Amino acid sequence: MIEVDGLTRLYRRGTLETQVLKGVSFRVRRGEFVVIMGRSGSGKSTLLNILGLLDRPDGGRYLLDGADLSGADDDARSAARNRKLGFVFQQFHLLERASALRNVTLPLLYAEQDSGDSTERAERALQAVGLTHRPRHLPSELSGGEQQRVAIARALINDPAVILADEPTGNLDAQNGREILEIFRHLVDGGRTLVLVTHDRAVAERGDRVLVLDDGRIVGEEAVPTPAAGTRSDAAGAV
Amino acid sequence: MSAGRRRRHRQLARGLVLSLQLLAAHRLRTALSVSGLLVGVAAVIVMVAIGEGAERRVLERVQGMGTNLLVVSAAPAQRVVGRPRQVPVHTMLRAADAEAIERESTLAVAAAPAVNRSMVVRWEGVNTTTMVTGTTTRGLGIRNISAASGRVFDDEDDHERRRVALLGPTVVRSLFAAANPVGRVVRVGNVPFDVVGVTRARGVDAVGVDLDDIMLVPFETATRRLLNIPYVHTLFIQARSTADLVALEHEVREILHGRYGGRSGMLAPFVIQNQATLLRTERGAAQAMNQLVVGVALLALLAGGIGILAVMLISVRERTREIGLRRALGAKRRDIQIQFVLESAMLAAGGGLAGVIAGLAAAGGAALLGPWDLVMSWRAAALGLACSTILGLVIGALPAARAARLEPIAALRAE
Ligand SMILES: Nc1ncnc2c1ncn2[C@@H]1O[C@H](COP(=O)(O)OP(=O)(O)OP(=O)(O)O)[C@@H](O)[C@H]1O
Ligand SMILES: [Mg+2]
Repeated sequence: MIEVDGLTRLYRRGTLETQVLKGVSFRVRRGEFVVIMGRSGSGKSTLLNILGLLDRPDGGRYLLDGADLSGADDDARSAARNRKLGFVFQQFHLLERASALRNVTLPLLYAEQDSGDSTERAERALQAVGLTHRPRHLPSELSGGEQQRVAIARALINDPAVILADEPTGNLDAQNGREILEIFRHLVDGGRTLVLVTHDRAVAERGDRVLVLDDGRIVGEEAVPTPAAGTRSDAAGAV
Repeated sequence: MSAGRRRRHRQLARGLVLSLQLLAAHRLRTALSVSGLLVGVAAVIVMVAIGEGAERRVLERVQGMGTNLLVVSAAPAQRVVGRPRQVPVHTMLRAADAEAIERESTLAVAAAPAVNRSMVVRWEGVNTTTMVTGTTTRGLGIRNISAASGRVFDDEDDHERRRVALLGPTVVRSLFAAANPVGRVVRVGNVPFDVVGVTRARGVDAVGVDLDDIMLVPFETATRRLLNIPYVHTLFIQARSTADLVALEHEVREILHGRYGGRSGMLAPFVIQNQATLLRTERGAAQAMNQLVVGVALLALLAGGIGILAVMLISVRERTREIGLRRALGAKRRDIQIQFVLESAMLAAGGGLAGVIAGLAAAGGAALLGPWDLVMSWRAAALGLACSTILGLVIGALPAARAARLEPIAALRAE
């Protein structure tokens, strides 16, 4: 589903250059739940933004669903963001002045295929994240956990193959964090591909596989044992 | 319409609804941003109402006399070159001239003679001085005179030189107060006249003369029984249309020269008044007013446009994260651009609409309450609204371009 090869990213401000990604390569299969971990400043968000077509790499190759979009024009990348990708941010990024329902329908404004009844679709998406009782509330009238559910429903509304989440539980308490992860798990079990960035080991354990990023490179990859096994393996394999 | 186009329209409509919601959330700022445009448009609407009111007054006055009318008057006494003697040329025009003009002119529909003299009219001890006018039934027709009560005199009255009179409302008020004058007898000097009718009110003419302060009698009665003169004071000539007036004036001049001045090669002394010329002069003043209105309108649009531009630029800066989010969710640069242009247009259209409503309300209120003569112009209202909207579209281009230029990730990360 996702295939990156030798991705590099250099931030330049004046004469100050920061090589954030120094050649990152990995693959994510369809239906896989991959967690990216690493110290603060290791480039996790930078990498996820490139995967999300929000940012362009300076070098390397990125195939999304078989299509090389690193050189594509802005419109093609926008269309791919709309159709193939769903974003979930740490800060939720909801429109403060719009109802939950309207926030969820926002991606439909930019869809290139007919969306049918947008309200009905939004209600279904909200149902999928277990938030049916407050569709007309403003974000400020919702709890953090509820806001993140709205954001996930928004990511789901165009039925994307891939969901990208950057510390989606970072602003939530443990209970809400667990519930959000439950929803993600559900989505993956339903066939979606998920790439999630986190600091939190407990969060990482819900994934199928963990990629460890350090100093701009993938330094470790560990398979996460199924929770049923009840054991933890620290076996890491370099890529 | 293709399904894709339909979808696109639906999306645009939904986007607009969302934009409206977001704008509505910033009530005060939105109101401030359009206040300049509102006041400007309202001012222009009121000015146009005043201007059109003035123009209507002029039109009504001139039309009271007929806009396709020529009035020929004999000129006052004139010195003839070579022989210094007064020729009584003011006695030159004859009733036959009217017939000749009707016969020979190709552009005249009708012509009629008229005599006038200011005289005292009496009824049972009450006196009033009024203009006694003798003219033919044709003359009544040309000058658009009809009876509000009773009847107008007819050709037979004229032929038989009957002493019948048609009174203007002003004379009726002076002599009879509330009583019905029809059927009563008034006297001019010692001559009794049966009042057969009262004319429809006509107001004042272009120079402020009360057209209703008049007593109309048949032409023959006036010339033979009242004034005893063989000549006439004026000829009224009606053209087919206002457009023919200039040509008709030329024609009439030729005909009269042929009848009077031709032999001696001298210019016949008469004055031709052209109602259309009068109208044009008055219109010139109205046009100066119009230019002022256009100037004010342009200033208002400029001021209003700057207000909206400022607020839109602030809005783009403040909503950078919203723009980043929309981009992240799949908005193309063009979508963002369209959104902000339309928001600007909606703001401006809203301000324009509010201005139109405020202006019409002010003009309507003033017309109801005060002595002002204001005409509410729907054309000005529609134009104000259209100009505001177009202004919004144009003004929106710059903020929209700025918004569309933002990179998704940078915008999303903005404070
Ligand atoms: N726009 C930018 N300009 C310059 N440097 C940047 C920019 N964005 C990120 N960086 C730098 O790149 C490095 C990686 O940033 P990134 O946000 O990808 O880290 P991260 O792994 O997501 O960290 P965190 O866990 O704290 O979110 C950091 O050192 C950061 O200072
Ligand atoms: Mg980060």
